[in-house]
Amino acid sequence: MRRILLAVLASALLLAGPAQAADAPPGASSCTGCHATTKIAGSVIPRIAGRKAADIMTFMREYRSGTWPSSVMGRIAKGFDGQQTDAIAAWFAAQPE
Amino acid sequence: MSTRRHFLKLTAAAGLAPAIASAQGAGRVVVIGGGYGGATATRTLKALEPKLDVTLVEPSPVYTSCPFSNSVLANLREISQQEFRYDGLKRAGVTVAATSATAVDAATKTVTLADGNRLSYDRLVMSPGIDFNWGALLGYDEAAAQKMPHAWKAGAQTMLLRSQLQAMEDGGLVVMSAPANPFRCPPGPYERASLIAYWLKIWKPKSKLLLLDAKDAFSKQRLFQNAWAELYPGLIEWVPLSKGGKVISVDPATLTFTTEFASHKAAVGNVIPPQRAGAIAGQAGVADRTGWCPVEPVAFESTLRPSIHVLGDAAIMGGMPKSAFAANAQAKVCAAAIVALLAGRKPQDPILINTCYSLVAADYGISIAGVYRPAKGQLTEIPGAGGVSPLEAVGGLRGQEALYAASWFRTITAETFG
Repeated sequence: MRRILLAVLASALLLAGPAQAADAPPGASSCTGCHATTKIAGSVIPRIAGRKAADIMTFMREYRSGTWPSSVMGRIAKGFDGQQTDAIAAWFAAQPE
Repeated sequence: MSTRRHFLKLTAAAGLAPAIASAQGAGRVVVIGGGYGGATATRTLKALEPKLDVTLVEPSPVYTSCPFSNSVLANLREISQQEFRYDGLKRAGVTVAATSATAVDAATKTVTLADGNRLSYDRLVMSPGIDFNWGALLGYDEAAAQKMPHAWKAGAQTMLLRSQLQAMEDGGLVVMSAPANPFRCPPGPYERASLIAYWLKIWKPKSKLLLLDAKDAFSKQRLFQNAWAELYPGLIEWVPLSKGGKVISVDPATLTFTTEFASHKAAVGNVIPPQRAGAIAGQAGVADRTGWCPVEPVAFESTLRPSIHVLGDAAIMGGMPKSAFAANAQAKVCAAAIVALLAGRKPQDPILINTCYSLVAADYGISIAGVYRPAKGQLTEIPGAGGVSPLEAVGGLRGQEALYAASWFRTITAETFG
């Protein structure tokens, strides 16, 4: 009985996964072209999946203001307002590290 | 028996049975073209909705990446490092039809394949890349490309151009021609000129490169020109349209480029010809008179044929350039939109990013970035964002961007092909 319940819960989780992914906020899916969702050997670009939302928001705020030097991130961060950035940060924070 | 009954009861109680039933009817999506756009679309569709029936139509078992193929010309990489197979798609549950699409019928929603089979779809994704407008440049046809390679589809053409460069005598003139807009990879010709110059400077220091251009301005222009002056003084001569740079004809027998003002005989000639969407787009009725494919800016559905989505270089994406990063980003947005549409939901308005690195030397990178959203029926660059690397590099930025370029390539190819 317990095993059955576990199996059911597992399949429920599997079904929930894709729905969550489909609900990625606008802009989030572009980030993974550089910020990998899997471990990439030798990449110098940090992964952001599973990072604290507050940390991602801090990075993005400082990039947007130009306070922190960057290559492309300063230019990209300026394309998103605070609310859009918060949604993307929360979504990445909820992804597996 | 009783266990099974329990299971059925439990799944019903959890509301799972209807979900499974409806997911099995989630739909059939056919994707034509296994490049950055098409391959990403298939894997994203399966990740978002595993019950979807997703088929990739792609005749070649190996995809050879154009991004970083200029480094192959400069002997900085091997062509094998550019090659990707479709095993990662198959592992993700994608059916791969290793044949080409010969016809698309939008009315009956079917794709006819070269092997005689026919595929029905609920949604079709076309990511056919480019074909060349053979004959648009007098004297340049498929046979001429064996003498004056385009190397604008990577693979055998890349290796042909590299072997010609290697066989050239020191002091030989390399001539390149770049087309008018739009074309695949706007900074590509200038990265190529840079990396050939990088290689010439080491191995053929008496040689020069002449770049004949059908336009007066190009992507990352000041960054490229500053770098040429700094790294390769006197080696690269760029001739813009207004100075007679437009090539009118070529002669493959004598490797001659003829402009309105002069003829240039090359030791090695590289013609980047005028382009259009891959031929199947014209057959399907999704390409317009320009040769490219107009789409709406949310799900990238063709404005000419319903239920057909067009991605990547083949599509007219408003302000978004024809790059691998863009095709990959568009594919992810398109896949999410198709999942929504098949479930009867309205796709959300997307935001897309493009980032494109160019190498000027092995350890010298420059970049352009942009952020785009739908406005007035097309993808429009968000003002105040985006732009190119600063003209004055501080803190090792050029080296850093060369490292980011290499990391980007590893990441995007892993996401695209698995």
